[in-house]
Amino acid sequence: MIDALLLIALLGPWGAAAALAAVLRRAPRAAGWAVAAAGGVSLSAAAWLWLRALRGVTTVAGPGMLFRVDPLSALIAGCIAAVAGLAMLPWPGPTDDDPEPGRPRTFRIFGSLFALSMLLAVTLNNVALMWVAIEATTIMSAVLIPLHRSKASVEASWKYILIGSVGIALAFAGTVLAYFDFISLLGRREDALNWTLLLDAAPGLHPDVLRLAFVFLLVGYGTKAGLAPMHTWLPDAHSEAPAPLSAMMSGVLLAVAQYAIFRWKAVVDAAGGPAFTNQLLTALGLLSLAVGALSLVRQQSYKRLLAYSSVEHSGLICLGFTFGPAGVFASMLHIVNHALAKSASFLLAGRVLARYRSPEVDRVSGLVRTMPATGSLFAAGLLALMGLPPFGLFVSEFLLFKAGFAGGHVAVTSAALLLVAIGFAGLAGHLARMLPGAAPEGIAAGEGPWIVFAPFVVSMAALVTLGLLLPDGIARLIGRIVEGFPA
Amino acid sequence: MQGVFSQISVLGASGVLLCGLLLLWRRGAGAYISAFTWQSAILAGLTAAIGYFGNDAQLYAVAALLFAIKAVAIPRLLRRLAARFTVSRESAPFVNTGTSLVVSGLLVLLAYAAARPLQAIADAPTKDGMPLAMGLLFVSLFVVVSRRQALTQVVGFLMLENAIALLAVLATYGVPLIVEIGVFLDVLMGFLVMQIFLYDIHDTFSTTDVDVMRRLKH
Repeated sequence: MIDALLLIALLGPWGAAAALAAVLRRAPRAAGWAVAAAGGVSLSAAAWLWLRALRGVTTVAGPGMLFRVDPLSALIAGCIAAVAGLAMLPWPGPTDDDPEPGRPRTFRIFGSLFALSMLLAVTLNNVALMWVAIEATTIMSAVLIPLHRSKASVEASWKYILIGSVGIALAFAGTVLAYFDFISLLGRREDALNWTLLLDAAPGLHPDVLRLAFVFLLVGYGTKAGLAPMHTWLPDAHSEAPAPLSAMMSGVLLAVAQYAIFRWKAVVDAAGGPAFTNQLLTALGLLSLAVGALSLVRQQSYKRLLAYSSVEHSGLICLGFTFGPAGVFASMLHIVNHALAKSASFLLAGRVLARYRSPEVDRVSGLVRTMPATGSLFAAGLLALMGLPPFGLFVSEFLLFKAGFAGGHVAVTSAALLLVAIGFAGLAGHLARMLPGAAPEGIAAGEGPWIVFAPFVVSMAALVTLGLLLPDGIARLIGRIVEGFPA
Repeated sequence: MQGVFSQISVLGASGVLLCGLLLLWRRGAGAYISAFTWQSAILAGLTAAIGYFGNDAQLYAVAALLFAIKAVAIPRLLRRLAARFTVSRESAPFVNTGTSLVVSGLLVLLAYAAARPLQAIADAPTKDGMPLAMGLLFVSLFVVVSRRQALTQVVGFLMLENAIALLAVLATYGVPLIVEIGVFLDVLMGFLVMQIFLYDIHDTFSTTDVDVMRRLKH
């Protein structure tokens, strides 16, 4: 009973918020706060699910085990609820630099549905329904990219929906192939697509069919995860989207796709050993790292910098999956760190864009003087993304490289380390040009009310906490994930 | 009986694939839309036939949905779009007709190679159609990347969806109904959003040739 209630509390508020936002056309402020309240309820439910997972309780609800929240689902759902809650906060009005003041009606509706579909994707046990939910995330987010119609945003949204839909369709082909293998062995069953059942049956399935399926699944979900060479839509979509949407797409949508890859990797590995999946993930991971890191050096737009940094981190997370249990631990921690740092950075970049009216690094100078709070928080976000201590990404990257060397992947880990260093230099160079100096003419100095910055301060504080002492609650939850997935 | 079933499934799958290949040598939005309509209709018929021979009443419902959405509703919307934009010709695709046909031939061969592990374990009478479904999957992907009219890309995407539906019905006699409904919903919503974007592209760039969209390179 409590299981079902918890899931309703996690998912329901976003559905209700979307409906309210659609109905309350005349009362935008009320609708905005209704959405924010939904975020609060959903986040509380996610925290509760997290606590239950820590105690070793798997939350299950619905007919035929439709929903299932294990430690992995709890971890990602927590990230989604937190980032969506932050991104949907309707900050005050025209005096402030909020990129989407008060959040327009379309944004309230589709942003809530977007959050709902991401949460569904990580709580549904049926892998085909998980696919349906992930495909829905593409649709809900694509609608919002051309919120302010311009040539660039129309082009970005077209690229996004076309590449995203085609890619994700391939993932469905992979799902069908795995289902085909399952039923030719065990016969037709309604619940044959449940991940738990697939995993149990996997040792008896045909490894070569599952390998073919995994190629489709990896290309499909890899497209959504921003892995090179299928990443081409990502820099456009993430940089042209309104800042709160970029925050959700970069912060947690990529993690949802990684989640799907990880679930499928477990099934394929159980059938034929991890060598095949590890080779593919290593290749795509290294390529993504290279594309991301090298683009960080030559990019001239700060929103695109953040987008390419996502490609880089996505590649790193993929590599971690191949480094055995210690690597999986590091990758999961990295997902949490990246969600916190990237969502805050994108929202702050939106404030910078609203003030300077240009996405070019060269047009932004004197950031610390014109926008002291935004500027320093933005700098902190970028330093965190570079992997500097005392922020959490330093710890997760350190653990990841350590796992790589300890596992004997010396060449791959060294290459990754070098690429991360290049990306570091690229981001640092751009940041150093934005912060000091005098502001361009016509750019006013000053900041909005302090309350606007409270959530960002919380994000940064959380990142520092993760970097300095790695809270027990997170370490134990990820420990449980690693136990559940013998790599 | 089994022999007839097997022949019908290969015949149906070939028909579906042929409609996909039509995209490569016919020109013009009208021809593309007809090819897609016929493809969906054949796919719906095949699904119903597999439901009959395989004794699965659920497949009748799937076939009816398929026909209603992909052979009636979506083609209607596509024709409205085409009339509005007067995109009569795919004037100069990125890859010319002759090369396209050679590439597709190779892709179908590749599909036969890729589907071998599948055929090895399948014992259903429908298994000989599976490489054809894989072939359509690759050909549709090729259409999406090699054409420059946004409308053609949409038709390519819809054919890719058909290829996967064909693969599912041949390999597994269809995925569970709840999944099928979810997939239909996604296809329909996805198509509606693409349609909105097509209007956006047309209004913003005054053409639907995606080659004009080059602002965001790098």
